[in-house]
Amino acid sequence: MNQQVKVGVIGDYDPNLHYHIATDEALGHAATALSVSMTSSWIPTQSLAKGSVGTTLKPFHALWCAPGSPYKSMDGALQAIQFAREQGWPFMGT
Amino acid sequence: MLGIEDAEHEETAPSAPTLLVSKLACSLVGRTQTIKIIPGSLVHRAYGREEVTEQFACSYGLNPRFRGKVEKGQLKITGVDLDGEVRVVEVSDHPFYVATLFLPQISSDPESPHPLIVAYLRAALAFRTSGKGKQRN
Repeated sequence: MNQQVKVGVIGDYDPNLHYHIATDEALGHAATALSVSMTSSWIPTQSLAKGSVGTTLKPFHALWCAPGSPYKSMDGALQAIQFAREQGWPFMGT
Repeated sequence: MLGIEDAEHEETAPSAPTLLVSKLACSLVGRTQTIKIIPGSLVHRAYGREEVTEQFACSYGLNPRFRGKVEKGQLKITGVDLDGEVRVVEVSDHPFYVATLFLPQISSDPESPHPLIVAYLRAALAFRTSGKGKQRN
């Protein structure tokens, strides 16, 4: 049996934005295709403060920076992107 | 990451002197474009082809003024439109690091999951299996 894969989606989720809904759905399609159990969790940009960003993001196995700028905290989004790049976390930015 | 300390985005800081991300000459909101994928790149391996069609919802992109600087740095330009404008960048010395100006997620459906997102999730699975996330906890 496959272990669960946890994806952290960086962004300020808005259920009125079709591409936010599509992000979770597309991850679901890919997970089904690979027969893996996957959960995606949204991480609000304002929760990504310098100093604690690593603690917040380490539980995930991949990070995805969602569309929909401007972010509530551009700095929070940039912290997460930098973390993924420097620490080697699989990353997608769309 | 490029050593540009005052890098700004035209949407949030329109009068800043160093606009790394600037308004596109022509908005891509609701548009579809043909993208040329650079052979040998991570995205090329994911797609398995050198030309793809993708949908956009944005009006901002890399300021062409900084393209040369980007090309000299850690980011590689691995997807361009038919005019040669940057549409995909990736970091080669990294397990999986891809940024696109288009939205692969909006063209995924249950019968045809998007190849780039499948490749991304495969990288997440490998990361999970290698226990890298655990070691760093």
